[in-house]
Amino acid sequence: MNARPRRRSARILLNLAALVVIAFSVFPVYWMVNTSLLPASAVRSAEPHWWPDQFTLSNYQTALGDEGLLTALGNSVAVTAITLVAALVFAFLAALAVSRYRFRSRRSFIIAILVVQMIPAEAMIISVFRMLDGWYLINTIIGLSFVYIAFVLPFTIWTLRGFVAGVPVELEEAAMIDGCSRAGAFWRVTFPLLAPGLIATGVFAFIQAWNEFVFALVIMTRPESLTLPIWLRAFVQATKATDWAVVMAASTIMAIPVIVFFLLVNRRMTGGLVAGAVKG
Amino acid sequence: MTTVTAPAASASPETAGPDAREQSPRRRRFPWAPLALLTPALIMLVVFIGWPLVQLLVMSFQEFGRAQIFGAPPGFVGLDNYVAVLTDAEFWAVLARSIALCIVSVVATMVLGILVAVLLTKLGAVMRTAVSVALLLAWAMPALTATIVWGWIFDTQYGLVNWVLTRVTGTDWTGHSWLIDPVSFYAVAAIIITWGAVPFVAFTAYAGFTQVPDEVMEAASLDGASGFARFRLIVVPYVRSILLVLLILQIIWDLRVFAQIYALQSIGGVRAETNTIGVYIYSVSMASGDLGAGGAISVILVAILLLISGYWIRTMLRQEEQS
Amino acid sequence: MNRKLGAVALVGASAVVLAGCAGGGTPNDTPEAAELRVWLVGTDTPQEARDYLVKTFEEDNPGSTLVIEEQQWTGLVDKLTTSLSSNDSPDIVEMGNTQAPAFTSSGALLSLSDIEDQLGGSDLLPGFVQAGSWDDTLYAAPYYSGSRVVFYNTAMYEQAGVAVPTTLDEYVSNGVALATALPGVSGVYFPGKDWYNALPFIWENGGEIAVQGSDGTWEAQLSSPESQAGLAQVQELMTKASLAPKDGDEAEGWVPFRTEQSATYSAPSWAYWSIIADEDQAATPVADITGYFALPGMDGGAAQVFAGGSNVGISAKSQNPELAKSALEIMLSDEYQTILAGAGLVPAKVSLGDKVAAATPELAAVIAEAAANAKLTPASPNWADVEAQGIMQDLFVNIANGGDIATLAADADAKITDILNG
Repeated sequence: MNARPRRRSARILLNLAALVVIAFSVFPVYWMVNTSLLPASAVRSAEPHWWPDQFTLSNYQTALGDEGLLTALGNSVAVTAITLVAALVFAFLAALAVSRYRFRSRRSFIIAILVVQMIPAEAMIISVFRMLDGWYLINTIIGLSFVYIAFVLPFTIWTLRGFVAGVPVELEEAAMIDGCSRAGAFWRVTFPLLAPGLIATGVFAFIQAWNEFVFALVIMTRPESLTLPIWLRAFVQATKATDWAVVMAASTIMAIPVIVFFLLVNRRMTGGLVAGAVKG
Repeated sequence: MTTVTAPAASASPETAGPDAREQSPRRRRFPWAPLALLTPALIMLVVFIGWPLVQLLVMSFQEFGRAQIFGAPPGFVGLDNYVAVLTDAEFWAVLARSIALCIVSVVATMVLGILVAVLLTKLGAVMRTAVSVALLLAWAMPALTATIVWGWIFDTQYGLVNWVLTRVTGTDWTGHSWLIDPVSFYAVAAIIITWGAVPFVAFTAYAGFTQVPDEVMEAASLDGASGFARFRLIVVPYVRSILLVLLILQIIWDLRVFAQIYALQSIGGVRAETNTIGVYIYSVSMASGDLGAGGAISVILVAILLLISGYWIRTMLRQEEQS
Repeated sequence: MNRKLGAVALVGASAVVLAGCAGGGTPNDTPEAAELRVWLVGTDTPQEARDYLVKTFEEDNPGSTLVIEEQQWTGLVDKLTTSLSSNDSPDIVEMGNTQAPAFTSSGALLSLSDIEDQLGGSDLLPGFVQAGSWDDTLYAAPYYSGSRVVFYNTAMYEQAGVAVPTTLDEYVSNGVALATALPGVSGVYFPGKDWYNALPFIWENGGEIAVQGSDGTWEAQLSSPESQAGLAQVQELMTKASLAPKDGDEAEGWVPFRTEQSATYSAPSWAYWSIIADEDQAATPVADITGYFALPGMDGGAAQVFAGGSNVGISAKSQNPELAKSALEIMLSDEYQTILAGAGLVPAKVSLGDKVAAATPELAAVIAEAAANAKLTPASPNWADVEAQGIMQDLFVNIANGGDIATLAADADAKITDILNG
């Protein structure tokens, strides 16, 4: 779908639309960063400060100076990395099984993973907690990762399945006619087309694990096992009067790794476009 | 990847149903390959979701409160929890509100998400990256922080919206609470939810659009098909499976929505008039500690979700069999 | 399909076995050297007290260490529910006095009856002992109490020609008079969700939130004539004297006061520090014109106000109950409680009440006066659920919106009675 309009007016209109989308998407994020650079007294005031006219880095100093930050960061990175890798691998294998093969319980499996997503996670907190507790996995990175993987799997399988199903088998057959082995056809033809799907799903899994709060709150209770969302929450009530500017600074710090991750994989997403044009 | 369905699928006649295919000699062999592929995922799902789910089901038939969490034996009460929930007028009010919010949010998210995805395909590389980054920033923000910031934008005393409205309309909007009226509360909630959900729909739909092979598109434009016709007749069938997936997921998530509503309630509004079912379940299960009722409501919710999304799921599965 | 069921059953069975195997550890009866985990909530406990606790504990129990883990108030009930029932439970936990009944009644805490006398016995704050007991056994000892004080802008009072009220009715009429005389300023800053500040009006008029009959059932009484009289006073203040958001909460209520947009503000005593200086430690415009008084009762004297505060207990699943009891005794010792008093908190022991410090001696006297008349919410284990569902907040938001008191009170009563009686 590379049909880019050649007329200037269409191009201008499109760019305008793009700017509107950018503005609407980014404004709350901008507001968060803006607040983080203002002194606390300027945050709740009758005249809004549209830009950091009273610029200060003290909020970041406070947030970065907190001794729990490094530990929480390490925990979040570990949990998220494990969740991301395991979930993608397991989900990809499962999506392959469900899309490319016909076996008897296939339909039941598809419906089952769909039904599982309908269950409200809030109702399962206690049950999951008791299970982990019985295995002494409370306050462990691997315990929390297991929970995250399991909760992210239904969605990732479901979505990847859609992507795999969207790649017609005929493409692989065409490659095989051209002389590729089955595995070669898969890796050189189908997999590149799946790359965008894998990335979208991967980013989703990353964000879910990174920002998840409810389960982390009850499973990671010791100060040395906190993840970033819980660490952030502590700032909201660290003093009697919530210092929102510091909270926003901490939130910004928390959002940076996600953005870095995306910028790293973004190129592969557009790379998928290229691969789509150069297939055998 | 040695057992193959593709040749079998193209070789067997189009009219044969799945059963016919499965009874062909090739299929009688035990499907080791798919099971092996499925095993890791299956283990995780069965252990970490299956088992707690079973416990949830069991609890829904019991009297299970905080005392039972700490060791007291639970009593079996049969369908009492279900009856209590289904005869509770508050439950139906909460459900109605949740469905209304879900419909509004899902429609807004899907429409906007697909439009943005189309926009992404038509933009130059620089603008596309800019929009992608903007979308990602919105997506990366945790629901809690996002709700707080949106709450400030709509704040009663110091909010930006009131400030802008005061200057634009001339009447003083300071002190106008956007959260105290339930309908207005839900409008704000819908904005927050849609804002957070559009990036995901946009990215996934865009990824699906890029899967449409270029030769097919070029062939169609050579044949004289207009842009919109190309989109409707060629692109949509290719991405239909993905779009259906997104639709079903959005329905499920938006009906179950929790974090944004919960956070918004602590900022303003009347709790009893703004509960959605996700918050209601949390309030009953965790806050009140009545896990028996919480379990019953969850089961009922799943049943309702199945009812609502059943049509789309069947369409999707049928489409699967045909491809 | 059958194979899958078999696999599920196998995994399920092993999960049951594993879950059953674990969690059967017997608590130590001899105080061996161990690490004791203490959960303190929020920032009320001053650093000096924390240091004292660690030092004294480690001196008294050589070889053992005590570590304080910081917790927040939001989500505390959930966290306690899960953590106290787990194998990795903390040893000592602090909880709000209104949350204590939920845990004393469910078997989450260890009985303190064998050390009740060492903790203070009859010297402990009676209302808090009641909140922390179940079936006549003490499970959660009082830890500290707070008290509410009314701050007022002396300049504005002069300008409007009102004096410090001596009765509750005067307080209400003052509020309205101030709002009329000073447009754009709240006579009394009273946001809709601020139910803690609304309780004294109910109590002073002779009403109650709920009472427990001799047969143990609770009956909510917000719609009794006495309670309704109190609610009417609240409505008058919220609609005629206050410019606060009808659905706002009491957090950061000092901001309008210190920016001279409200003339009167009732708050916990520590709010004083946020009134006279802002977050950047700069003096606020009202720093020199802030006065304070205890909320007056119906007939003069101090009103019955809501007693905020905490209780502290030992987890039933603590691995070191003897060490925990030793630490608890330190926390309730005269020395420790005096440190708390020095930080402006009302100590758990009545006899130490005069040690409460404040920015000024007058403030200290006001605090002591208010604390002596403090009252608690109904001591039912299900009261935490009433709070969790925000029923009181919803009631007052609707009252602030000008709703009909009789109907609203009856509605709230129905809900509260339902919840309290399980």
